[in-house]
Amino acid sequence: MREKVLHLKNVVKKFGGRTVVDIKDITFGTHGIEGLIGPNGAGKTTLISLITHKIGMDQGQILYYKNNKEIDISKKRLDEIARLGLVRTNQIIQDFASLSIRESLLLSLATSKDEQLYKIFNEKKFRKAAEQEINEYLEFFHFENPDGNALSAGEKKLLDIIRCMLLKPKFLLMDEPTSGLAQDQTDRVIEMMKTKTANNEMSILIVEHDLDLIWKVSENVFFMAEGEILIQGAPDEIRKNKTVISKYMGENYAQNK
Amino acid sequence: MTFSLFTSTALVLGLLEAAPLVLAAIGFTLIFRLNGFTNVAYAENITLGAYFAVIFNSMFGWNFYAAIIPSALLSGLFSVLTYLVIFRPAFKRGVGKTELIILSVGLSFFVRYGSRLIFGNDLFNFTFDNPSYLSAFGIGITSIQLTCIALVVVISLGIYFFIYRTNYGERMRALADNENLAMISGINPTKVSILIWFIAGAAGGLAGVFYGAFSFVSPSLGYNLILIIIMVTIVGGVGSVRGSLAASVGVGIITSAVTLLSKPLYGQVVLLILFIGILKLRKVRI
Amino acid sequence: MEQLLSGYVIYSLAFLLIFISLATLLHLQFSLAGIVNFGVVGFWGLGMYSFSLLLVKGKVPFVLAVILACVITGIVSWILGRIILNLDDQAVLVGTLAFATIIEYLSTSEKWLTNGVMGLGTVNFPFNFGKKSLLVYSLILLVFTVLLMLYTYKLKKSPYGRLLLSISDNEKLSQSLGKSTFRQKNIFFTFTCALIGFFGAMAAPLYSFIFPRMIGSGVTFTIWIALMLGGRKRLFGGLIGVIATIGLFDYVIETVIPIPTQYAEIVPNIKFCVYGLMLILVLMFRPFGILGDKKMEIVK
Repeated sequence: MREKVLHLKNVVKKFGGRTVVDIKDITFGTHGIEGLIGPNGAGKTTLISLITHKIGMDQGQILYYKNNKEIDISKKRLDEIARLGLVRTNQIIQDFASLSIRESLLLSLATSKDEQLYKIFNEKKFRKAAEQEINEYLEFFHFENPDGNALSAGEKKLLDIIRCMLLKPKFLLMDEPTSGLAQDQTDRVIEMMKTKTANNEMSILIVEHDLDLIWKVSENVFFMAEGEILIQGAPDEIRKNKTVISKYMGENYAQNK
Repeated sequence: MTFSLFTSTALVLGLLEAAPLVLAAIGFTLIFRLNGFTNVAYAENITLGAYFAVIFNSMFGWNFYAAIIPSALLSGLFSVLTYLVIFRPAFKRGVGKTELIILSVGLSFFVRYGSRLIFGNDLFNFTFDNPSYLSAFGIGITSIQLTCIALVVVISLGIYFFIYRTNYGERMRALADNENLAMISGINPTKVSILIWFIAGAAGGLAGVFYGAFSFVSPSLGYNLILIIIMVTIVGGVGSVRGSLAASVGVGIITSAVTLLSKPLYGQVVLLILFIGILKLRKVRI
Repeated sequence: MEQLLSGYVIYSLAFLLIFISLATLLHLQFSLAGIVNFGVVGFWGLGMYSFSLLLVKGKVPFVLAVILACVITGIVSWILGRIILNLDDQAVLVGTLAFATIIEYLSTSEKWLTNGVMGLGTVNFPFNFGKKSLLVYSLILLVFTVLLMLYTYKLKKSPYGRLLLSISDNEKLSQSLGKSTFRQKNIFFTFTCALIGFFGAMAAPLYSFIFPRMIGSGVTFTIWIALMLGGRKRLFGGLIGVIATIGLFDYVIETVIPIPTQYAEIVPNIKFCVYGLMLILVLMFRPFGILGDKKMEIVK
């Protein structure tokens, strides 16, 4: 068990009268990798968007813990939260049309010190410093043409993940990162997740519908349905839990049979 | 100038400013709501409406009020023409929203300077038969101006009635809100779009006619007003006829009040500054 | 005759340099940062008028007047940017257009300051080399234009250039990577608008007398059509576009084709009519300019 990273209190979000997220009191980050599962429409992606402030919550408080300090991020902007080390990958594919794969990664690595409008002569030095780290990722994931645009959905998804990794986040929220990926790429993502969370410097919360992956990778699993997190526990407990089975795994189980 | 004289003058002048603006805003907001972009070339719709009426009034010697009818029809046709020849093909080619506005600016320059080539750079005036002079709230006003305001009211009510109370209007609103759903319901998008562009064009043309009647007709008539029209649309709410009406009256009164207190250009400057502020407040989202 | 002709040629080239710089600055704002600035002439005019007022009425030395004009334009654009840069593209377009219209109106109405339609002048070159003054001044302009293009070239390959591209491609995604997008857009907008003001100031001595009618929306429109025609994503897009429009219409046609005075009035009408048509055609059929879309350009 580690120190907690996020503490959500009474976080509520409504869309046109309908309550989409209603979290009374939940703590994230006490394990290296935690899973978040639940049926479609449970509010998982909305919850992640609320945490990173891509959308605003109607009420509630979100506390973030870093370097033994408690920071209230309820009202902070998207970019401020990302700079604090709280980062998310996207469920729906997002990319920069004008940037090649390598340029996208260079963007991720650049700090505000590097990005100044008068600093136009630092490119060579910048690229050299970033070369090793970027090449490691590019080779690990077997990118064929890193100086072209990301073409396939799979490439864009992986690019999204690597961009986030390069930010060296303290807490990474992954929203269905392996959907659309071939099995070999999925395995690589899992391997990377395990390596990066091995020391105490990063924790991950992963949302997935691929339950086998969740059981394989998570140390703690949250079950969410109809906007609320109903249960949490070790994978073995969750997969046997009656509520989970009836509300969610029933359909999955039938499908996977 | 006493305060009561000031308010009456501002009110009357304001209504005169607002009347044509109401029609222009209604027409503009219809296109804005349907197609989701700011059609800057609508300015030329307004200007051409005035020119069409000038042709019938000054060249063919028709009575001013009779000249309004062919002007409205031709303006509507012009609007439909721009839709079929330029904007609809542009949509189909996947031209983005921002590029569409830039394209409409291009069309605006094309038509405006084309008009200068055809009609010349000069100004025109309408000829009226024997206007009589009356007074409203202690301010001098001509029978022409009163009749025009009355016409604007009638036409606006007519358009409002058409959009909100008839079947055709219902189809128009359905198409504007959700094209796919509308199509599934059996509404023909092309036919209904043409109808909307026609009405918008006619309304714009009539606005131009009345502007010309209250002052004069110049090639930049519409272009000088387009920013204010956009502002009225945003303030009144995109697609809301009632909102456009209220906003137009407000704008008319503010303009005349400022003009009375200072210089004519200041009225415009104040409006434009308000415009920028309103953009911020309304956080325009299409 | 020969001397007259060559004087005119240098004069034309000097103006071309000004407009090439404006088109390049618009390229930076639109193609790099995604800012749809339809008020270019507003900042240009503000720079031109502040500079001229400082020089003529304030008796401020030339260089200081230029610098102050840039600062004034920068401050005004900073304020405008704070208000409208976090709104959507259409709002930025009409907001900047409204701003430019305000500047145009004020230059006419504030007669006590600008002499209104009577014109403000005389704005002279900062030195006197007799007949060679124009040539020397034009060379100075050339130096600045080249510097600007070098800056643009380098910027696109730098971390800041990538940041700007990311903001215009997908601002939310850029924010999710920790980038302060609004702040950077505002800073860059202020910087480039101050430079637009700079070239406004530098243009004043070429006109020697400045009038409000010189800063109408036609100028903004011309720069836009030049950029769209030459290729919005290309470094030399502005250059190609300006030569193909202003170079062709204002200089080649007017020098090569002798136009009888009774028709001289309609030439600007034909010009803008054709520009309008060209803009429509370019946006519909060749959105990346007459030279077409270079996929490589996008990747690089």
